[in-house]
Amino acid sequence: MFSEFAALIVLLPVIAFVLTLFLGKKLYSGGALLPIAAIAGSFIISVGIFFEIFPNDGMVQQSFPWFAGMNIGILIDPLAIVMLMMVTFVSLLIHIYAVGYMSHDPAKPRYFAETSLFTAAMLSVILSDNILQFFISWELVGLCSFLLIGFWYHKPSAAAAAKKAFLVTRVGDVLFLAGIVLLYVNMKLLIDNGTLVVESQSFILQFRTMFEAIPLMDGTQLTYITLLFFGGAIGKSGQFPLHGWLPDAMEGPTTVSALIHAATMVTAGVYLVARTFPMFVATPSTISAGVPDSLLIVTYVGGFTALFAATMGLVMNDIKRVLAYSTVSQLGYMMLALGTAGTVLGAKAVGISMFHLISHAFFKALLFLCAGSVIHAVGTNDIREMGGLFSKMKITATTMLIAALALAGFGLPFEGLGMPIMNIGTAGFFSKDAIIEGAMEYGEVTHDMIPYGFAVIAALLTSIYIFRLWFMTFTGKPRSERHSHESPGVMTGPLMILAIFALLFGFSQAGFYGYVEKNFELMDVNIAVHEGEAFHPSALVILLPVIVGVLGLLISYLIYNKRIIDMSKLVSAGNPIYKLLLNRYYEPKLGANIIGVKLTHDVVAQSGEFIDRKIIDGLVIDNIISNTLLKLGEIVRKLQTGVVQNYASVTIFGVALLLIILRLIFGGT
Amino acid sequence: MNFTLFAPEILLTVLAFVIILMGLLVNDKSKNMLGYLSAAGLLASIVYLVGNGMTGKTSYFYDSLVVDPLSQVFKLIFIIVSIIAVIASIEYFKNNRNQDEYYALLLLSTVGMMVVASANDLISLFVGFELASMSTYVLAGFEKKNPASLEAALKYFIIGSLSSALMLFGMSIVYGMTGSTNIPAIIEFFKVTHLSAESSLGILAMVFLVAGFGFKMAIVPFHMWAPDTYEGSPSVVSALLAAGSKKMGFVAAFRVLILALVAIKVDIQYTFAILAILTMSYGNIVAISQRSIKRMLAYSSIAQAGYISLAFVVMTQMSIAGGVLLALGHALMKAGAFIAVAVVGYMVLNDNKNAKNSDDIGNFAGLGKRAPITAFSLFIFFLALAGIPPSAGFIGKFVLFYSITVEALTPATSWLLIIVIIAILNSALSIYYYARVIRYMYVLPPNGETIREPAPYVVAMLIAVIGTIGIGLYPEPFVQMAINAAHVLGV
Repeated sequence: MFSEFAALIVLLPVIAFVLTLFLGKKLYSGGALLPIAAIAGSFIISVGIFFEIFPNDGMVQQSFPWFAGMNIGILIDPLAIVMLMMVTFVSLLIHIYAVGYMSHDPAKPRYFAETSLFTAAMLSVILSDNILQFFISWELVGLCSFLLIGFWYHKPSAAAAAKKAFLVTRVGDVLFLAGIVLLYVNMKLLIDNGTLVVESQSFILQFRTMFEAIPLMDGTQLTYITLLFFGGAIGKSGQFPLHGWLPDAMEGPTTVSALIHAATMVTAGVYLVARTFPMFVATPSTISAGVPDSLLIVTYVGGFTALFAATMGLVMNDIKRVLAYSTVSQLGYMMLALGTAGTVLGAKAVGISMFHLISHAFFKALLFLCAGSVIHAVGTNDIREMGGLFSKMKITATTMLIAALALAGFGLPFEGLGMPIMNIGTAGFFSKDAIIEGAMEYGEVTHDMIPYGFAVIAALLTSIYIFRLWFMTFTGKPRSERHSHESPGVMTGPLMILAIFALLFGFSQAGFYGYVEKNFELMDVNIAVHEGEAFHPSALVILLPVIVGVLGLLISYLIYNKRIIDMSKLVSAGNPIYKLLLNRYYEPKLGANIIGVKLTHDVVAQSGEFIDRKIIDGLVIDNIISNTLLKLGEIVRKLQTGVVQNYASVTIFGVALLLIILRLIFGGT
Repeated sequence: MNFTLFAPEILLTVLAFVIILMGLLVNDKSKNMLGYLSAAGLLASIVYLVGNGMTGKTSYFYDSLVVDPLSQVFKLIFIIVSIIAVIASIEYFKNNRNQDEYYALLLLSTVGMMVVASANDLISLFVGFELASMSTYVLAGFEKKNPASLEAALKYFIIGSLSSALMLFGMSIVYGMTGSTNIPAIIEFFKVTHLSAESSLGILAMVFLVAGFGFKMAIVPFHMWAPDTYEGSPSVVSALLAAGSKKMGFVAAFRVLILALVAIKVDIQYTFAILAILTMSYGNIVAISQRSIKRMLAYSSIAQAGYISLAFVVMTQMSIAGGVLLALGHALMKAGAFIAVAVVGYMVLNDNKNAKNSDDIGNFAGLGKRAPITAFSLFIFFLALAGIPPSAGFIGKFVLFYSITVEALTPATSWLLIIVIIAILNSALSIYYYARVIRYMYVLPPNGETIREPAPYVVAMLIAVIGTIGIGLYPEPFVQMAINAAHVLGV
């Protein structure tokens, strides 16, 4: 019954967007209730569909022709339904929270309209059944992100951050589009020479048709296509080297950071790779034996990003930036999971990666909302000016601690140690351990332990930076005179709900894997699984993630709470590593100065200007073309004398001229 | 004989006479309802039209009128434009004591255009042409106390009569050569006998016909009347002229010229290419320096006529479909844009009863704040006119340019690539003057209060906006319709 209303999942927020935009000013709290009601509706439909399709492994597929062999359609398979439920749920909570957080902002209607449109676009990404619609929605998501990062557009830093985010993700989007074009060309070739048959109810560029074409396609082409897709994912999910925009994106309201730059939009990149996963798996292995080329690159980019971003998270002083780097790092984990587990476990990798994606969405949204609550209370982003807030903000502090424990992956792996007790732990424990184990197994099979190294070291750093954040914010003595208070119920309510999920979501692990694994079976795609020898990790391997987590907590505790180790010597002595990290590996400078100023402005733009000014305009007199056009316009305008006799003469003259021309062309008879 | 297929025309004709009769009977105040009556009649006729289906071919009255996909598409265009104009007129001519005549003439001109769309005989073509022209001459001068309106009407009338005379002369030559006025019969004659149109007489006839149709299409050099007339006429009439009556020229040209050119295989591509290029470049270049928005729209519609004329250059099925699509899109965008200008006029007159040049670009400053719906609609129309997706303007241009590019891939006709490049450069140039108005509307500060936009204008503009965007988002059925129409011409 709910399945028939699948389109409403997207349409409700769209309607809310239109209504809020035009009527928001007149409604309660800038029209916040409309998007909340609409997204609640989408959530209910999503959950309803889940309960309809879950028992019998069903799918929802609706599609109708659009133009030129393309279609618009809905595909709700296990992969999509778990994302749908997560996005509508988190978005709903954040919208409720925003009623409190944005209460003092005069531009509320614009805010709620834009977040509503954003939610609609993201939902449309999720349930697209073809790559073209996916791309269009993906672009719309990017546009909304641009609008929301620059929400306080009168702030120059916000405007600059919005621009940066837009431009950097655009690099990825162009690659993605190029991938789609290449895919289309390849499929068209297959159709033209008759190897691929598109049935009457199917359409080219539909995921199902794309997967059918995989075995027919040339392997090298497939590698190019998947790598171009992955380029899009790198841009959207802030992977190295296009990660720079995400921390800057924190210039928007904190709710936007939580919604877009933690829980939903940035996961679109991971979702893209998961969606087209059969294509990644099918790429040939030329670089490393047994590892599909594209997955190898996904592994390394993801793993390196996980570590690289974590190092920068260690030294940031802006509470939201720490979380932003943490997001980049965790997205790296998701990519790593797709790459490593994809090589050794096949379709199960999608389950592992998506599970981390969703548990991350819960605890990262929670972290951001807690940060928002702190910022709302003390009025600064700088953790050096906070401290001792625990007694004043008990709910925020406790929920944030839960989220931090989840991020660091705290838990007790009884089962793995052979004890007859089930594992107990936070959501992050279940989801991250699986990734690290997957990396270990990858190492065993391919004798390449580097990704495993990335994962473990990053886990240690993650634990250090998140507890540094927590200790500096909530413990010790207040470091500045600020009046702080606990946030209102409309804000703490969502915190507590998310905290419950951050604690308990992990227990659904087995069921989740089992369900999402089936995704590609339902799509009639066979994913070859490399059967390695049975993998029995040693106790140390199983315990290691937890050990590094506790170790990180301990280090942070000693440095930032007990102050036993004096950090000031390390950080202030002009230590080059500290400076390197604090300056974010000079990436913004490199990006801005070398690529932005030197390359783009000095070389490309200047030479363009040189050509424009000196050659095109300089050869002839100043601005000859534009001036001529304008002057020509003026002159011709004067032909329009307004005297009707002249008009008649022109008409007759035209007739005569046409006659002469035709006469000249044909000659005479 | 079964006249169901002509139900729309019959309905509108009867309605026109009923309105005249009612105008005699009711008092001046009640005349406001005549607009609603006309709108209802047009709505009913569109229902009939669509109900009759867009495919199939039937001929009537000794083969002098036909109903086929081509006629249906253009009738659809004419009725939609009339609906938009009539709805806007409800506000524009509110409390005008001559409303009855206005609506009757508007309906009759619509019928005239529809007859041209169906014409399969030179005589019925001419009769339809004249019916539409005569009615619109009067409509253009409908603001009797406004000298600009009278001047517009007079110029339109004089040049229109000249063109009609030329066209009629051309037709008589054709009759003299072939002994028939039936279009298929004429084509057949040219096919069988080898008396080709390359003869002096043939060229003369063709040029005269081009001049006659070109007047309505407003292609260079038969365009001179258009800017003056569009500027001076009431905005709602300008909408009808630019969006509807102009397309009448195109459907006539499609019917007569394309068939003739295909049949006799005369190679006058170059001539049409030059005309099309001249027309679009001239329109765009002159539009740049206009301060009157109505004049700017007039020149932009000359430029659009240039794009549509490209269909005559290659004459493939795809390119004619593109021309038909662009005609459909242009009808919606241009009608909507003129209505938006009417709202601005209303706004300016609200501020100051004696204001002149209400369509000066200065009055558009801050329109985004003063009349948000109008500004937004105009924004959409301008983007669509500039050919930015997803809009009807984009689809039309895309199909048209694409079809020419395909032809240009054949080595023999590779010169067509130059035409495409010039057309695309022209499109880019047009963004300049559209963007200028958009800047006025959204960047510059408003110079007055926010107004309440009258409901009829809003409805009229929204119809056009929905059509413009709708075709852009879901082009498939419209492309199919245009291809069916092109198929009729047997190219």
